[in-house]
Amino acid sequence: MMLALIENAFLSLAGSAIPASTVVVLAATGVLLNERVGVMNLGQEGLIGIGAVYSVIAVSSWSVGSPWIAMLVGMIAAAVAGLVFALFVVVFKASQVLVGLALALGGIGLSNQLGTNRNGTPIQVQFQEVNPGGKFDDNDFFEAFLFHEPPVYLAYIVIPAFLWFLLFRTRHGMNMRAVGENPAAADAVGVRVTWSRLGYTVLGAALAGAGGAYMVLSFTPTWSPDIARGRGWVALAVVIFAGWRPFRAVAGALLYGGMISLGVTAQARGWDLPSLEARDLAFFLSMLPFLVTLIAILIPAGAAKIGRRVRSTAAPAALATPYSREDR
Amino acid sequence: MVSNQSVTDSPATPAVEARGISKSFGGVRALDAVDFDVSWGEVHALLGENGAGKTTLCNIFAGIYRADDGEVLVEGIAHGFRNPSQAIDSGIGMVHQHFRLVETMTVAENIHLGWPETPKIISQAKLVERTEQFMEEIGLHVDPTAKIWQLSVGEQQRVEILRVLARGARVLILDEPTAVLTAPEARELFAVMRQLVDGGRTIIFISHKLNEVLEVSDRITVLRNGIHEITRETAGATAVELARLMTGEETHLDVVHREIDGAIVLEVNSVTALNDRGVEALHGIDLNVRAGEIVGIAGVSGNGQTELAEVICAVRRVESGTISIDGEQIANRSARKVIDLGVGHISEDRIATGMVASAPVTDNAILHNYWGDELSDGLTLDRQGVVTFAKKLVETARVQTRSVFTTAGQMSGGNQQRLVAGREALVARTALIASHPTRGLDVLAAQEVQTSILERRDAGCAILFISDDLDEVLLMSDRIAVMYEGQIMEVFNRREADRERMGLLMGGHAVEEATP
Amino acid sequence: MTAYRVERRLEANPRHAALARIYGAIIAMVVAGLLLLLTGRNAFQIFWEALDAIFGSQRGIEGVLLRAIPILMTALAVALSLRMKVWNIGSDGQFLMGAFAAVGIGIHMSGPGWLILIVMAVAATAAGALWMLVPALARAYWDVNEIITTLLLNFVAVQLVVWASLSFWRDTENAVIQSTKPVPYTLAGLPGTNSLTIALLVPLIIAAVLWWIFRSTTTGYEIDTIGGNPRAASFAGIRVRFRILSVMLTTGGIAGLGGMLQLSAPGAQALGPGFSAQFGLSGFIVAALAGAAFGGVLVGGMFIASMFFAGLVLQTKGLSVYIIFGIYGIILTGVALGEVAARYRLVRQDILATERAAA
Repeated sequence: MMLALIENAFLSLAGSAIPASTVVVLAATGVLLNERVGVMNLGQEGLIGIGAVYSVIAVSSWSVGSPWIAMLVGMIAAAVAGLVFALFVVVFKASQVLVGLALALGGIGLSNQLGTNRNGTPIQVQFQEVNPGGKFDDNDFFEAFLFHEPPVYLAYIVIPAFLWFLLFRTRHGMNMRAVGENPAAADAVGVRVTWSRLGYTVLGAALAGAGGAYMVLSFTPTWSPDIARGRGWVALAVVIFAGWRPFRAVAGALLYGGMISLGVTAQARGWDLPSLEARDLAFFLSMLPFLVTLIAILIPAGAAKIGRRVRSTAAPAALATPYSREDR
Repeated sequence: MVSNQSVTDSPATPAVEARGISKSFGGVRALDAVDFDVSWGEVHALLGENGAGKTTLCNIFAGIYRADDGEVLVEGIAHGFRNPSQAIDSGIGMVHQHFRLVETMTVAENIHLGWPETPKIISQAKLVERTEQFMEEIGLHVDPTAKIWQLSVGEQQRVEILRVLARGARVLILDEPTAVLTAPEARELFAVMRQLVDGGRTIIFISHKLNEVLEVSDRITVLRNGIHEITRETAGATAVELARLMTGEETHLDVVHREIDGAIVLEVNSVTALNDRGVEALHGIDLNVRAGEIVGIAGVSGNGQTELAEVICAVRRVESGTISIDGEQIANRSARKVIDLGVGHISEDRIATGMVASAPVTDNAILHNYWGDELSDGLTLDRQGVVTFAKKLVETARVQTRSVFTTAGQMSGGNQQRLVAGREALVARTALIASHPTRGLDVLAAQEVQTSILERRDAGCAILFISDDLDEVLLMSDRIAVMYEGQIMEVFNRREADRERMGLLMGGHAVEEATP
Repeated sequence: MTAYRVERRLEANPRHAALARIYGAIIAMVVAGLLLLLTGRNAFQIFWEALDAIFGSQRGIEGVLLRAIPILMTALAVALSLRMKVWNIGSDGQFLMGAFAAVGIGIHMSGPGWLILIVMAVAATAAGALWMLVPALARAYWDVNEIITTLLLNFVAVQLVVWASLSFWRDTENAVIQSTKPVPYTLAGLPGTNSLTIALLVPLIIAAVLWWIFRSTTTGYEIDTIGGNPRAASFAGIRVRFRILSVMLTTGGIAGLGGMLQLSAPGAQALGPGFSAQFGLSGFIVAALAGAAFGGVLVGGMFIASMFFAGLVLQTKGLSVYIIFGIYGIILTGVALGEVAARYRLVRQDILATERAAA
């Protein structure tokens, strides 16, 4: 009986954690892409917002009928923003921190401004869950893990797998990793550093935009101000925690989502801890994702300093440093 | 055995030719209308002092820089290389002084980096296999599965050479390749060079070391201050003549060496220390320096000299052993304490550890004495006094700068070093640790720094003079200690010093092994 | 015919850099205004009207100064850490935690007003410093980048404040309001003004103290040196870790104190979810614009506060407050590009020829 209750709770948790983290997974994968080539883009919040608002615009103002097209619109908008960022940072070599923050601010501002008249209005076009129906309908396990919207599968499985293969099993990926570790070395052997950094930053931005699009096309099907709610920043932290490896980033993002849905579930089911009401528990749990992410960053750093240096989880050595061939 | 064959049948078209090449950086003329050509099948040495333009010229050949004026011809056809891969496509490959290797990746990966012939889908195993095959063909070998940071410097250099050869380079440019090698490793390199040249390739060998150039090259070109001085056959050239061409004049410092009878100031006993990677870099060093004496540390860079200077100045932990200045124990005490005891330190990399490039000259001038009674009363800093002090220092050290408020990073390397050396000379009451103090300086600046060090010696300081330039060590030191792999091989008086013996010691051969 | 070439230097002259940043910001604002023009709103005219509203009346000036206080506090905090090249993105969180601690004292303790206020100030400063403790330790000992750590704590602080205002310190007497009970103690008013308190003096005093520290003390010199080259600093015997810790804790304290001061602003005696109107972010922009020069921070802070006020006016004309965010973003970009431009200079070809002849 107890076992069934726990299993039930776990499955319901998993079922809600997975969609909750999808935004983070997508954004984190994007961050991973551009950080692997050495560019740090702090503007994730803005990119998520831009992706979200343009998907909403696509649906409500341009009458786009398919959620995929709407998502594509959002991705393109975010990619454009990413391109401007990349131009300033890679070509003009402006401070990645300042311009990244500017992108975060500007993106939030732009998206909130464009979305002001759409607060609360439901968005008609949505991703549909995959559900073959029939005898699978009652199975909790399938409900938790398999019946999700298609972007979830893309985000959790297809894209990370593709990225892993690209980075670690192809010539192109190896060259890209070199750009992030030692751009001078990569340049010396003919890898196009500037183009790589530009391209991957734009791709990374597009992924963040996809995350934003997913938010409004499935997760919270209306627009509201500050739609990203800190998830962009969490994505940045998750990548550090994941040691810049695709599947670990997925795990890290799930951790985050797990915390969020823990809070929501607690409130919905009226779970009480002795001396804490459900509502208070929910508040406490809302702080938890950020605290846990913080601890998750500190652990590898501490381990590296205290024990032997674990090189495989070190940051790409040239992260956030601009490269210029004549700088020597 | 290496031989100098005079090139009797040079083909009409040179392998690589530079015509009228000029290049400037930030207002400084690095190359001025240089003409230069290299034939097939020769080892051509490019000789000159630091800053003569050798590396710049070769960077232009290799597509890293673009010339402001002039053209580069490969086999008679003009090329305007816009990036290194274009140069490689034309068969020119360069192995730099500072390796362009990705430390966290393996040898096999580094060799296959950015190479169109690498298969699109890869795996470690396949890369290793291809690398081994290639190494067989060329005749050079390194462990293909090792990560670069795990390799010795000589091995890393071999990876660089392999990488360039793999891409079909027929003109190989080696930039100061022996700067990081031991003597036996250098010999091996020369043998490899001959082997490659006999196979039809051409090597351009950049160096400032006369003896090596005379030993291994077929023709020599001398550059001085960005101008092409001369090109001649190696056969028949003498070191003195070449030196004169390199420096433009016969300058030498007259150093008078006296008997040393001062008290021991710096005493290092059985010191063991680790380097940044956690590997033992100093194995039980014993050393002492007396007042008014210069003890030179000879040896190829990377044998523990850096760590030695750092433990004495208390910026690196001592694992065991003791160090004392004037009898006071300083091992593992604070860097501040050591400076307060009157120890100056001209660090080996002024940009990294000796100065703050983004700060003005004033702030840099007081870096090692700002807390002293002259400028501070413990809490406050007398800014007016700082300016006065800086002006005085600039004048004494002959730093060429328009104002003491100039940002230090905007000054030339020579002026920066004058500032740092002058500052440390003022700090040094009891001792001075000078680590490669003339590295990268032109002759005039180098002499000024050497002079100020000698002045300190005459004032009674104990001086530790670390340099990888054997001639400089022989010039300045009263006693010489040779360091190899974290140990003092031998200490001897300058009068007993013999280049041959020192060379062997620097390469790790104990003197007993030297056959008379 | 003299030809010009653009050349790149490795270090920028600080004076050039400061000017370039300001030009960058100005150009950015013009660009922003032009963009707004494209959307049919004449921002220049509105801005002019707003300026008139602000500086045309005592009420307007006081309104700007009121706005400026919290921004100046966070800006000073960020500027201090910026001198050491430490990026304190979490000043918002420290600000909120300072207010949190002050509110905790203020609604639970009673006694003579001046005493309670002092205790509140001390508690707020300590709370802000404590909020920096983990990022400071992580940075000093483990080299953990402080951008993400301070940022994450921002969110924790926001959630904590929401929790407090909606749950355990909720103003239960007033069912409509979602905030804590109001703190019954406020700072003394500034004579000659209607709405300002002596809180205005605090950032001015702190700025003066900081300016003095960096100009005339060894501590300030050491901090600048660490910011310029931490390795050279340790070779000079400076205790780098200790300094990093103490400076980071101090910045947290300053931001926290700002939170306490804000509680004395009219209408802000209670802590609620909307307590901080992005003061931390504004402070960061001011510090970046001023290049961490404290005098510049004061000027920049006044400027940003005016913009904020103008933003309120803009809101009445149909622009949302988010436009201000967008403008901030453009300004930051302008500043960043300005810094890049400062590293280049135009060189005349004939000057090059004379240099060559002299060599």
